[in-house]
Amino acid sequence: MGPQLSWYLALSAILFTIGVVGVIIKRNVIAMFMCIELMLNAVNLTFVAFSSFFQDVTGQLFVFIVMTVAAAEAAVGLGIIITIFRNRESLDVDDASILKL
Amino acid sequence: MTTILFIIFAGLAIGCAIAMVSQSNPLYSAISLIGVFIALASLYVTLAAPFIAAVQVIVYAGAIMVLVIFVIMLLNVEHSEPRRKRLKFLVPVAIGMAAILIAETAFILYSVQTSANRLPGNISDIGLTHSIGEGLFTRYLLPFEVTSVLLLMAIVGAMSLARRTTVLSATARVVPGAQVLAMDTVNPRAVGDHTAVETETTDEAAHLLGVDFQSDRSQEE
Repeated sequence: MGPQLSWYLALSAILFTIGVVGVIIKRNVIAMFMCIELMLNAVNLTFVAFSSFFQDVTGQLFVFIVMTVAAAEAAVGLGIIITIFRNRESLDVDDASILKL
Repeated sequence: MTTILFIIFAGLAIGCAIAMVSQSNPLYSAISLIGVFIALASLYVTLAAPFIAAVQVIVYAGAIMVLVIFVIMLLNVEHSEPRRKRLKFLVPVAIGMAAILIAETAFILYSVQTSANRLPGNISDIGLTHSIGEGLFTRYLLPFEVTSVLLLMAIVGAMSLARRTTVLSATARVVPGAQVLAMDTVNPRAVGDHTAVETETTDEAAHLLGVDFQSDRSQEE
């Protein structure tokens, strides 16, 4: 008996939850960024699991698109992080709590 | 056999994810996150999705994490100051929300019966590069093109965000670097003054012009 679909979904839920917890408890903006990447990966695992179990390629296509969006998010997000660091000399999100440079 | 592989890689993924969240050094959490990505790529292989597994390793563990580690080392924040009192209450809030999320997921998993509960045994071409490319360029051509536009926007946005803008105030029109300029070129208010002015640095030029751009900066901040 191989692994069932619900096992993959449970693993994905656990990873997503760890990502949510990380976003809430972390203060370093790069660490929060990496937790968001972890959540995206948890969703990707769900897509691939459904795609394999239902024999439908659509899920894997969407994983492809999610990865592209994650790459774009990484480029723009890290640009924002560098700009924040230049203006505030800090990576703490509490130091960037007002929308004014 | 697949069960053993699933247990190994799922354990690796969860362990690395927990290590990532519990680390205080962002570099260590980045390396733990790479561990999660590798474990997930192995799970994709067991799910008969070799193309996605390869892309996961190349794009995520390769490109994106290199970018993240590059930024961590570029900014090089040595240590984080002790946690402020105001944020203490967020830890129990996070634990509570995690419990709610887990409970919701468990409820869905036990209440919804999925029809396909086992991996199909027959060999299929789902997940191979051929079928993925066929889907991307026929049925899902529009999302594919929209994604390419998104990537273009990301390139332009990242460049315009990370570009270093000038810090001089509007009255001081001096390019940093060694140069000899007439006074009326440097300062539009000194009309007819042809004294040669040599500047090496922006500070020096600002001093020559009587502009204190450091205080201008601090006022802006």
